[in-house]
Amino acid sequence: MKAPDSIDCRAAAEQLYAYLDGELTPDVEAAVRAHLEDCAPCFRLYGFEESFVAFLRARTQARQAPEHLKKRIFEQVLFGRGAADPE
Amino acid sequence: MTGAAEERRRSFESEALPHLDSVYRVALRLAGDEARADDLTQETMLRAYRSWHQYTSGSNVRAWLLTILRHTFINEYRKSKRAGPTVDIDEIESFSVFDDVQDVDPEGTFFKQIVDEEVIRAIDSLPDEFRETLVLSDVERLSYAEIADVTGVPVGTVKSRLFRARQVLQRMLYDYAVEMGYIQGVEQ
Repeated sequence: MKAPDSIDCRAAAEQLYAYLDGELTPDVEAAVRAHLEDCAPCFRLYGFEESFVAFLRARTQARQAPEHLKKRIFEQVLFGRGAADPE
Repeated sequence: MTGAAEERRRSFESEALPHLDSVYRVALRLAGDEARADDLTQETMLRAYRSWHQYTSGSNVRAWLLTILRHTFINEYRKSKRAGPTVDIDEIESFSVFDDVQDVDPEGTFFKQIVDEEVIRAIDSLPDEFRETLVLSDVERLSYAEIADVTGVPVGTVKSRLFRARQVLQRMLYDYAVEMGYIQGVEQ
């Protein structure tokens, strides 16, 4: 997108997650940051959304592949039918 | 086993197998239950092993494995019905829950009272394309470009799907929190 020198609340809301995910180009990111410094409601919205994403990530991290599956893959993929040379 | 086969096994073991947890976590959210996730993971790793000669050493092996996982899911698993309902996201409001809670809980502390199982249930009810985008981002922390690569859509589509997926999920979890009395709902 075209890098604006300044952006309004609507544009800031559209860039919300891309900003939090560190996915914006430096100039757009700077424009969002400048807006947040000046706009208390958007600053609070961003704070709320940042907490929500952190919450979401914290609640979905723990799972690992179960041991029986690791064993199955080791035996059946690496040393089983998958071990045949590629067709 | 020939020397080449032995070498293939060794390189697959050291480069691909460390990403087994990632493949399993995404498989679990795509397939929806543990038994199907086990099978989907195994089939993915089998296909990856058979195609290992096509993988360029040093490139993004996790994204490569997740691409295979996704194709395997679409071709063989999506046909069979998942357990649980899929939400109609067009029915869900697209503005932040913040508008409703800013006066009573502006930091969203009520989310912390929601148990993990309810978060997972909400994620699982998202339509496939939104669920996979959210999982690749928030569970596996892939960049938008990597997600675009894995799912075969432009980065702009990843950005809009992730935005919508998070907002819908947030709204569902908020509605649940209101229902459970963790936070007082706003009179509409």
